[in-house]
Amino acid sequence: MPMKSYHIVILGAGGVGKSCLTAQFTHNVWIEAYDPTIEDSFKKLTVVDGQSLLLDILDTAGTEQFTSMREMYIKSGQGFLLIYSITSLQSIGDLPALHDQICRIKETTEVPLVLVGNKSDLENERVVSRGRASFLANKWGGVPWYESSAKRRVNVDEIFWDLCRQMMRLERGTEEVEVKKEKKKKHACVIL
Amino acid sequence: MSSTATMLAPSTRNSAASSSSSGFVPVSRQNTISSTHDGTRSIRASKRYSHTALYLSMSAQDRDLEIEDELARAQKTLRDLKNKISAQSKKNFVLEKDVRYLDSRIALLIQNRMALEEQKDFESHFEESTEVQEGTFPNDQKTQAYGNLFYLLQSEPRHIASLCRCVSMAEIDSLLQTVMFTIYGNQYEGREEHLLLTMFQSVLSAQFEHTPEYSSLLRANTPVSRMMTTYTRRGPGQSYLKVVLAKQINNLIEHKDLNLEINPLKVYEQVIREAEEKHGELPADMPRSVSAEEAAANPEVQQIIEPRLTYLMKIADTFLATIIDNLDETPYGIRWICKQIRSLTRRKYPDAKDHLICTLIGGFFFLRFLNPAIVTPRSYMLIDSVPSEHPRRTLTLVAKMLQNLANKPSYAKEPYMARLSPFVTNNKTRINKFLNDLCEVGDFYESLEMDNYVALSKKDLELNITINEVYGTHALLEKHSAELLQGRDTEHLGILLEELGPAPSQVPRKENRSLDLPLFSRWEGNIDDLSAALDITQEDVLFMEAKSVFVQLLRSFPATSIAARRPLNLRRIGEAATSMKDIQMFRKGMRGQELIKDLEALGVITSEDGFQILREEIEQELQHLGGMKEKAVEEIKKLDEVYKTIRDHNAYLVSQLETYKSYLHNVRSQSEGSKRGVIGQGSSGKEKKNQVLGPYKFTHQQLEKEGVIAKSNVPDNRRANIYFNITSPMPGTFVISLHYKGRNRGLLELDLKLDDLLEMQQNNHDELDLEYVQFNVPKVLALLNKRFARKGKGW
Ligand SMILES: Nc1nc2c(ncn2[C@@H]2O[C@H](COP(=O)(O)OP(=O)(O)OP(=O)(O)O)[C@@H](O)[C@H]2O)c(=O)[nH]1
Ligand SMILES: [Mg+2]
Repeated sequence: MPMKSYHIVILGAGGVGKSCLTAQFTHNVWIEAYDPTIEDSFKKLTVVDGQSLLLDILDTAGTEQFTSMREMYIKSGQGFLLIYSITSLQSIGDLPALHDQICRIKETTEVPLVLVGNKSDLENERVVSRGRASFLANKWGGVPWYESSAKRRVNVDEIFWDLCRQMMRLERGTEEVEVKKEKKKKHACVIL
Repeated sequence: MSSTATMLAPSTRNSAASSSSSGFVPVSRQNTISSTHDGTRSIRASKRYSHTALYLSMSAQDRDLEIEDELARAQKTLRDLKNKISAQSKKNFVLEKDVRYLDSRIALLIQNRMALEEQKDFESHFEESTEVQEGTFPNDQKTQAYGNLFYLLQSEPRHIASLCRCVSMAEIDSLLQTVMFTIYGNQYEGREEHLLLTMFQSVLSAQFEHTPEYSSLLRANTPVSRMMTTYTRRGPGQSYLKVVLAKQINNLIEHKDLNLEINPLKVYEQVIREAEEKHGELPADMPRSVSAEEAAANPEVQQIIEPRLTYLMKIADTFLATIIDNLDETPYGIRWICKQIRSLTRRKYPDAKDHLICTLIGGFFFLRFLNPAIVTPRSYMLIDSVPSEHPRRTLTLVAKMLQNLANKPSYAKEPYMARLSPFVTNNKTRINKFLNDLCEVGDFYESLEMDNYVALSKKDLELNITINEVYGTHALLEKHSAELLQGRDTEHLGILLEELGPAPSQVPRKENRSLDLPLFSRWEGNIDDLSAALDITQEDVLFMEAKSVFVQLLRSFPATSIAARRPLNLRRIGEAATSMKDIQMFRKGMRGQELIKDLEALGVITSEDGFQILREEIEQELQHLGGMKEKAVEEIKKLDEVYKTIRDHNAYLVSQLETYKSYLHNVRSQSEGSKRGVIGQGSSGKEKKNQVLGPYKFTHQQLEKEGVIAKSNVPDNRRANIYFNITSPMPGTFVISLHYKGRNRGLLELDLKLDDLLEMQQNNHDELDLEYVQFNVPKVLALLNKRFARKGKGW
């Protein structure tokens, strides 16, 4: 079977643990120190449901001064992890706008994505209730929602795999339906 | 010695002295120009000096004698320029918001996927972009009440500071706009800048109090980080970025094809792609997908990467060197914030090591200020168009290197970045020193106190603000009043809010007005007895006035005047003035003579030495003013640049809005047209639908100059013979044809739809291929916009 490759983009506010989750998934390491990301990319070979996949993972900046680059990232991505931290209300508050942006750019609400509440090990600092997050996940049409801990390595592989399954399903779906979209002629009809 | 902007960036050596010795020169309220000294004066003398300057500034209020020398003219130019920059950067800030919104919505419109309701909202943004009219308060009674409120908000920054902490992230943008561009909108005025920074400080220290671990300090997106973003959009931040980054970034951008990718996987992919294209198959020893380690071990990949590493480090080094060399250009406000970070950290974590503190400062200075501009230079007005793929990647890598240097992570998340670690190791000491130097600026509390006295004594304190800004701020204060009024010393705020009653709702955009709100305090009266307020003696006041009078007289005499000869003879100056026809000069002359007499009677000066003390101070003051002129001229040059950039950016934003507007008109008239067809009530007489515009002729040279032609394949010697015709057979459609002089038929013809151009622009697809030439899409849009605007309608 030929290897499939997918492009995953990780989005969310600064300091929620995007890079830590990525590092756990790709290299099995826990990073304690905080080093704000500007733009990092990783490749990871993984097997999901017997299918080997090559994942191209883009870890983005949560720092708000860099958010103008998001549009470009979203255009290039096929699946998205939307991360917040259960210890920051602000961080989940940022997500609806982000979700909006993704649907708008992708021109559909059927985008593979997973909602993730990270830092679940910090239960005593929790400010984002489970109810609030699952409400949000439902509102978005029932997107999968997890709570994870990069520190304890809880639900790290699961969130990536779930996303992979969604992307695989979507691909199968489009193959089966075989929609022949007539390619709209973009521009320039050159007559010499 | 220097004007405000330079005072805002005092040299590192005299931090302590500079603030205590700042003073004022005679100018009107908008431009209280403070000045610094070289610190050689004794404390006492400098205290005396600042009082003199204060006095000069106050006496200039009556404006009885318009000084018309070069310094005065230079200062006036500078003042105007600063006001223009302040006003313009506010306009741009608002426009940018609109364009960003429209940017995000235009795609939907193009694909006809926008709900009707949203379309209305969309259209209202066009109205928003029209300029707000001047006006007055609908209800005059309110003027005074709001005047009191905004005086309090401006002079006691703690209220706004606590408001910033209460509001939601959704509310904070409009609040910050009002705060940074209106309440403290005079970006080059000492007092407003200082009050704004005081506000920053209290928000900052609150954040330090509420952040348990320093590793997450200043990292999350909070009101403070939002404040930073907005703050860097003001004039001084913009001009700094331009000075430090524009040239280097533009250099890089020009090399469109310079590929400095060092990620082995990406390089590997490129290698096999090229091999495949060349030989039609993969090289035997190179499988399609490999791990990062395998890619990095490939000799061919290594060979490509090796020189790139060196080159990248060289580029990053130039960036760093420029940043370090321009320490003195760094806006005072930004440096002062760095200084606060340092001292707050030391206070909260006494054990924090020096390099750790540097990490925090660097995280702030690079992450929030410099690196965003390096990675997205287009949005910081540093370049004209979105950089192409390779330069964009190079800039990102440079930013990542600087970030690593500032933050010094122990672990390289992307293994290939480790290859650049020599950059970090080699520059560690350099960066730590720089970050510490950054914090070496003086405080301003003392001069702020002085500034406030001056402000208090002025009768014409005014704030240019819009009705909606007033109501919006009022509404936020009302909403969060319970929390706000818990703080200490908030009775005054409480009383004012109580009196104002419920906040009115926002008025429709069309009815919004900008007005000059007179500010005054309900509580403190004007300071009549200045000497009492400032704790200075009657002798001091007289001495200062005398000095001020003689300096004004000397500045008003023609340079050749005998009275101005050295050594100065004060009696002769007074006599010369009283013998002049000018009534103001006469009065000044009389006053000068009187003052000398009084001072002599008080024993402060004596005619025996020709009033030496006074003479010396007058000479000093004149010298100081002379230096100021040069400084002023220098600053004018710099700010002219800044103003030009800001205006260019404004033109770009406006043309962007125009394009969208035209598009919307087209869409609307088309859908209206089809509707009319159905209902059958056409208004065909009024507006001819298929009115052809053009053809307009453009020469190759002309379009090349305007940047419409991005690349031309036409040989140089043929270019003079090439021209273009552009016709618009109906709104939204264009035909571009390319002609060769003397031939009847065009060489090629291209049908263009506005939708397509907009879509290309949306996708950052900047090049439109016409075979012989390549057009730049945004420039084409601008050109069409200019030529084919159909009278406020679409094109
Ligand atoms: N307790 C706990 N801390 C975590 C967890 N994940 C991340 N952190 C900590 O949170 C801080 C930020 O983590 P990062 O992964 O760098 O955050 P980020 O989302 O990548 O931030 P940006 O790159 O700035 O957008 C680090 O100090 C981590 O140690 C977690 O699951 N539990
Ligand atoms: Mg990160």
